[in-house]
Amino acid sequence: MSETYDFLFKFLVIGSAGTGKSCLLHQFIENKFKQDSNHTIGVEFGSRVVNVGGKTVKLQIWDTAGQERFRSVTRSYYRGAAGALLVYDITSRETYNTLTNWLTDARTLASPNIVIILCGNKKDLDADREVTFLEASRFAQENELMFLETSALTGENVEEAFLKCARIILNKIDSGELDPERMGSGIQYGDASLRQLRQPRGTQSQTKQQCSC
Amino acid sequence: MERAMEQLNRLSRSLRRARTVDLPEDNETAVYTLMPMVMADQHRSVSELLSNSKFDVNYAFGRVKRSLLHIAANCGSVECLVLLLKKGANPNYQDISGCTPLHLAARNGQKKCMSKLLEYSADVNICNNEGLTAIHWLAVNGRTELLHDLVQHVSNVDVEDTMGQTALHVACQNGHKTTVLCLLDSGADINRPNVSGATPLYFACSHGQRDTAQILLSRGAKYLPDKNGVTPLDLCVQGGYGETCEILIQHHPRLFQTVIQMTQNEDLRENMLRQVLEHLSQQSESQYLKILTSLAEVATTNGHKLLSLSSSYEAQMKSLLRIVRMFCHVFRLGPSSPTNGNDMGYNGNKTPRSQAFKGCWLPQIKGLAVQFLMEPLELLWHSLDEWLALIATELTKNRSDSSSSIASLLLIQKGASQQDPASPCPSDVIGAESSGELAATPRESLSHELVEKPDAGADGEDVISVTANRLSAVIQAFYMCCSCQMPLGMTSPRFIEFVCKHDDVLKCFVTRNPKIIFDHFHFLLECPELMSRFMHIIKAQPFKERCEWFYEHLLAGQPDSDMVHRPVSESDILLVHRDSIFRSSCEVVFKSNCQKLKQGIAVRFHGEEGMGQGVVREWFDILSNEIINPDYALFTQSADGTTFQPNSNSSVNPDHLNYFRFAGEILGLALYHRQLVNIYFTRSFYKHILGIPVNYQDVASIDPEYAKNLQWILDNDISDLGLELTFSVETDVFGAMEEVPLKPGGSSILVTQENKAEYVQLVTELRMTRAIQPQINGFLQGFHMFIPPSLIQLFDEYELELLLSGMPEIDVQDWIKNTEYTSGYERDDPVIQWFWEVVQELTQEERVLLLQFVTGSSRVPHGGFAYIMGGSGLQNFTIAAVAYTLNLLPTSSTCINMLKLPEYPSKEILKDRLLVALRCGSYGYTMA
Repeated sequence: MSETYDFLFKFLVIGSAGTGKSCLLHQFIENKFKQDSNHTIGVEFGSRVVNVGGKTVKLQIWDTAGQERFRSVTRSYYRGAAGALLVYDITSRETYNTLTNWLTDARTLASPNIVIILCGNKKDLDADREVTFLEASRFAQENELMFLETSALTGENVEEAFLKCARIILNKIDSGELDPERMGSGIQYGDASLRQLRQPRGTQSQTKQQCSC
Repeated sequence: MERAMEQLNRLSRSLRRARTVDLPEDNETAVYTLMPMVMADQHRSVSELLSNSKFDVNYAFGRVKRSLLHIAANCGSVECLVLLLKKGANPNYQDISGCTPLHLAARNGQKKCMSKLLEYSADVNICNNEGLTAIHWLAVNGRTELLHDLVQHVSNVDVEDTMGQTALHVACQNGHKTTVLCLLDSGADINRPNVSGATPLYFACSHGQRDTAQILLSRGAKYLPDKNGVTPLDLCVQGGYGETCEILIQHHPRLFQTVIQMTQNEDLRENMLRQVLEHLSQQSESQYLKILTSLAEVATTNGHKLLSLSSSYEAQMKSLLRIVRMFCHVFRLGPSSPTNGNDMGYNGNKTPRSQAFKGCWLPQIKGLAVQFLMEPLELLWHSLDEWLALIATELTKNRSDSSSSIASLLLIQKGASQQDPASPCPSDVIGAESSGELAATPRESLSHELVEKPDAGADGEDVISVTANRLSAVIQAFYMCCSCQMPLGMTSPRFIEFVCKHDDVLKCFVTRNPKIIFDHFHFLLECPELMSRFMHIIKAQPFKERCEWFYEHLLAGQPDSDMVHRPVSESDILLVHRDSIFRSSCEVVFKSNCQKLKQGIAVRFHGEEGMGQGVVREWFDILSNEIINPDYALFTQSADGTTFQPNSNSSVNPDHLNYFRFAGEILGLALYHRQLVNIYFTRSFYKHILGIPVNYQDVASIDPEYAKNLQWILDNDISDLGLELTFSVETDVFGAMEEVPLKPGGSSILVTQENKAEYVQLVTELRMTRAIQPQINGFLQGFHMFIPPSLIQLFDEYELELLLSGMPEIDVQDWIKNTEYTSGYERDDPVIQWFWEVVQELTQEERVLLLQFVTGSSRVPHGGFAYIMGGSGLQNFTIAAVAYTLNLLPTSSTCINMLKLPEYPSKEILKDRLLVALRCGSYGYTMA
């Protein structure tokens, strides 16, 4: 029947066109590189249940189109997001330069508590690098973002990016900084906590059998 | 049994003679002597008989191999039971199904027998063949008092039957509260799973045992799914047990979200979940608001998923609409207020749309709260708006600039989404599709080279084809949400504004894919002002589709639209007299409630038994014949002798307007219930029903001569003829000639070559409409009680006839036999041969269209094609040759029943052109 999880987090993936947002999502969900990726039309959707700090969290991820013409459509998805991956391409300074625009959008349209992680994608193309790690991490620090360099091709840091973001949100929930019950928080409770006892019962009957042997 | 009776007789005879009988020697005979006595607990007689006999008290007899002790325990014959036990009967003797006397005593609640059996150390732990023990039996029937006595003797209160079920399971399933408490107090395992993993709580929930669930939860029962992952909540929702759900949520607040999330399940029983939500929403105002907000959030997420092009359109669309339906349903209920909280409780028979109730809450929450409720959905509507705006921009860009990159992007996207993600070579898959350029392009260069390539005309269409369905479904959801905030029958101004704003895009959607109208644009049927914008597209759709849409919407307002003909209560049966069918039907129909008649009709003829659909059909048939009975002077026959229209002189019958209303009601009712009537009206009257203006050709059906004159006026230059016609006519009102002006001051306005068209139109309207306007109005008043004008306008006059009077049978052989050929055609010409071959291949509906196309009537007169009437008497169906030019369509002259068939070069072309003509022919009427 319905899926089992403790929390559901709504995530966004934003950033300029061609930075590899859809590939990051594909790598995260399918565990492989999306070969024939095209420009995203509007907003695409993906989800995966992950384990973070002993909790099962379902990530509901909205992968937005980077092209300017879709900006008005994609903006309507910002509200109620708990976390966001802000993606640029390390081989394209232009995509790095537009980060402030994306950041402004996210800060103004999404919840003020939104947790944003900056992802410098296409790490595998180090030879063509136009944005240094140091520069970007300074930008991240100034804007209170977490930062990782990722590669949707090799999968390096992809999982980490999503999990790191989820972990921070969980921490904020634990510390009371975030209230999942509040509307527009982008967080929902699942009913997994009610079901956790199912597992021990199974193991119990197994041990019983072993004893009787 | 026979033997028992015989024994009994013998016994009673001997008793009467005041002599004791001896027990027969053999056990089998003896046991049948004793059994009736044991059943009646005649312990003295039994004791006497047993005293000197060698009878084996443990003798098992009958099909189930029971002993007399079983019989005693079963019947509660406690004296006999003790006697038998004293005589050494085995208290633990098991019958063929493994039941001991204790089992039977427990099952039947024989308290005394049970305690005696225990005294004689009956074993309480014995299982029967199904694994049931005495406590199972007590638990099944909720015999708590007995259970109290028994449970102290039980070694394991959790003893399982073959299905792993304990007494607690069965007690919970049956909702025996005190039994459950007793078992729990005796140490029963509250979380014990059976073989399929079902716990006591699971059982309580599966049967909606609210109180039992409450007890279990307050005693700390765990919320556990079974081995298939089915949870207690799933079961509650499946069964529509709102109260039990409420208890679960009280103990596990997070289950609330789970219930809300269930709205997304495809395999859900929607009405059950709706019942649950209905119940939950009535608990408190805050609960009501919380449900709506949560539903709004789920709907928004689903709507956004639907707008993601890679999601499944079908599944997401259904999911979104289902959630929004539930949202609207709950919204309309309103929160319960303390005063009516009690009678709004869950009992299945409340009326959710009670107007009084609605009236009292709506104003309260209207302001701030509605805004709050709808807020999550506003995000979705905002996205929808942006999407439509985006498409509008692309469309204009497309029109001005031939190379649009978004269009080609969409083209690529489409190709990509068609291919299996696992498939390594996309070009093969795409190659099979229409887009040739795409297939030829190597994968690496897909992104930019292509942008300039594809031709623009098709691209704009492609933007729409990938998004139109999805956006339209969201529009439908938007309409539903707007409507639920409005009083029934009113369209939200916000929605109207929305449609007007996106007019271009929406028209583009439906022009491209008219199916969208039927799938999602139901709002059109409810708002005439919006409908008119789309009417031309709708009317161009196949009759069948419009028919389905018509009925789908006609019945949608019914509370139980899934049950078409419900059993009707005695008082709702229309009792009519055969000998005064018109008057008696009129009486009962006027007395009946329109809503009830919509739900179903049941007719019974006075003094007859028969009921059911056959009688209803017969009633419509006879009654429709009576309605046109000339004795009532309501309808007159037209010139062709088969069709009818209101009689302008019907006022001879003083109550005539009421009768017209009745006739309208009967026709409306028949259409509503898909019953056919035996009346054919004139083309012009069908137009009146549809609200379509009549034209001069319609006059032909009532006065062919007059129609010819009008035609002549139109066809010829009248300037120099000195007709001296003015805009007035003389009419015959019961013998007296009266001059009636066609427009103000008409008698002094001359008809000239310039204004003759107006004259013809006005004179037509006078003859066809104004003369019978009160009658038409009366008829429509009745008709619209069942058929809203907005719905009937989906059809034209030909189709309305088909709907009301059905499809006539057409005998093609008879048709061929009575057809003439002219202007060069001969019977053996290949074109004629092809023509008839094509006619044979046509569907019945298409043949009717052909007949209508040529003769203006869908029916063959009595006696067949030999009796087809033309403008002036009998006029055979005729086919005339016309020289063929490319794409030329067949035409017809209906007043002389002539088909003008071009000399087509092949059968294929003939068929194709003919079908085109038939499909368009009904709409555009050009005078040939």
